Amino acid sequence: MTALLASRAAFLVAVVLLGLGLFVLIDDPNLLKKILGLNVFQTGIFLVYVAAAVRAGGRSPLVVEGGGPYVNPLPHVLILTAIVVGVSVTALAAALVARIHAERATVRADELRDGAGEVRDRE
Amino acid sequence: MTPTLVSLLLVLLLAAGVAVALFRDPLAAVVAFGIYSLALAMLWSVFRAPDVALTEAAVGAGVTTALFLVVIARTSGRSAETVRSRSTVRGRSLLVVGAFVALAAWTVPALPAVGDPSAPAFQRVAPAYLARTPDLGVANVVTAVLVFFRGFDTFGEVVVVFVAGVAVLAVFRREVSA
Repeated sequence: MTALLASRAAFLVAVVLLGLGLFVLIDDPNLLKKILGLNVFQTGIFLVYVAAAVRAGGRSPLVVEGGGPYVNPLPHVLILTAIVVGVSVTALAAALVARIHAERATVRADELRDGAGEVRDRE
Repeated sequence: MTPTLVSLLLVLLLAAGVAVALFRDPLAAVVAFGIYSLALAMLWSVFRAPDVALTEAAVGAGVTTALFLVVIARTSGRSAETVRSRSTVRGRSLLVVGAFVALAAWTVPALPAVGDPSAPAFQRVAPAYLARTPDLGVANVVTAVLVFFRGFDTFGEVVVVFVAGVAVLAVFRREVSA
């Protein structure tokens, strides 16, 4: 167990972050908090990838003559793409929340379910 | 890569993540998320991932925080987060999350140790890209993979950003009232 913690601490932290993010995503009634939870969940996955790219004594993947060993650059590429896609998702979700607030004057899922700010007759 | 520094950053990351989860006020949670992103960016640079660290600092800590602040400014109208008793969902959510965390943690011992040079990922694919990059005249392998080897995938990424931008515009367009 101690050896596991010493050699794979980053993976275990990533699992905890996934749990934290998932909990906020499904449990918090505030829609903005749900988006934050989604972001925490996603960074937990980033941590798995970047930690898996680490190589003991490895250098940054900037290739020079006779350099090396280097860390694995491929997870870095994947995570760069994931960060950009993640911010796109966050932007769209935030826009939806702002629109929901403009229509219903609340950002809480439970209040929305109770029908807060619902307009019945709208032309 | 000093293990002490990594441990410190992991602890900071966990603390900031817990703060994000616990703050009921969205503004406080967003500030905690900024600290969380900063811890991540530092961790990436310690893990020798400078490109990811820069992107995280600019996009994660910068753009995402700004987005949230804008939305909070727009939505902090009538109800200033009325503190009410939590719904009964909590027990069920804890159960789901507990099961998920247990399942995910169960797989951790099967992963190669962090930094292990004999991990499968270091055997064939990574060395191939590292060896072929200097021929392209770029030093940064991450740039080489993004722009040359997997350029078409990067185009797909740009499409995602474009679609998200179009969707945001569509969301903000009010219906034309009759």
